[in-house]
Amino acid sequence: MQAIIESINWSIVAPFIVIQGILMIVAILDWAKADDFRGARWLWFFIIVILNTIGPIIYFIFGRRR
Amino acid sequence: MQWMTLFNKEMMENWRNKKWIWVPLVLILLAILDPISNYYLPQIIEAVGGLPDGAIINLPEFAPADVVMMSLSQLSSLGVLVIVLMAMGTIASERKSGVSELILVKPVSYRNYITAKWAALLALVWAALFVGLLASWYYTNILYGDLSFKSFLLIFIFYGLWLTFVISIVIFYNTLVKTPGLVAFLSILTIMGMSIVTQIFGHIIEWSPNNLSSYIYEMVIAGEVSSDLVATSVVAIALSLILLIASIFTFKAKELAG
Repeated sequence: MQAIIESINWSIVAPFIVIQGILMIVAILDWAKADDFRGARWLWFFIIVILNTIGPIIYFIFGRRR
Repeated sequence: MQWMTLFNKEMMENWRNKKWIWVPLVLILLAILDPISNYYLPQIIEAVGGLPDGAIINLPEFAPADVVMMSLSQLSSLGVLVIVLMAMGTIASERKSGVSELILVKPVSYRNYITAKWAALLALVWAALFVGLLASWYYTNILYGDLSFKSFLLIFIFYGLWLTFVISIVIFYNTLVKTPGLVAFLSILTIMGMSIVTQIFGHIIEWSPNNLSSYIYEMVIAGEVSSDLVATSVVAIALSLILLIASIFTFKAKELAG
């Protein structure tokens, strides 16, 4: 495992992880302000946080009534 | 100008519900997913292990053109799905909630209403595609080999026409039915149906918009724009415009009837 972690060039993989992070943060900021959820408020929080990448996308598409 | 007002309202709306942030980010992720994971495939296989001693796996060497195709195929499957779901409620949900009636009570022309929505979605999708393919182009250059900036721009423009066509389909179904979920279902069904028909009757329907990706691949390899690619693009543009005009007419008919 150690060898693999060392063999990965982090400057290549980092943008990928950073974008996933931004996606999650934007979703949480939106979630914090919103009050028109489809379904339970906290359910959406866990969807955003636990389901990596897919969670925020599902939230943006289906999360709010608007 | 009434049209600009509607267009600006639409752009504002897409900004407020964060589409201008998340759609570009998702397309970037999709576009760079395969180039990065294929680059690290040997390490991943080694790490997972479970191979008998002495097993040798020959992984193909990818040319820049192949890498472009990896990005495009992700965008064509998951990317199109995300775009369809993102756009499914554009008009349908406004009609359901009665917002469109509020807008259309004022002397707003149906044509302006539909085309402003169409244009705002196109601006969003083209911008998202640009950053997505730019990221893919960057990774192709540092991991696999040279791909000229001119190729990148051509890939962007021609592939953008496919997404324009997808958006036109979604707008059309938006004017036809009021349920966003049904809009998405019918749009995906249409795109899949077209892809099947194109594959079966490939020898007759050479210029189906579904073929854009494969002509783009040929273009990257040959380094020149083929006449087939141009013809397919013209067909894609023409079909998009026909769908747009049809949308205006169905919307008019539905609203007047309803």
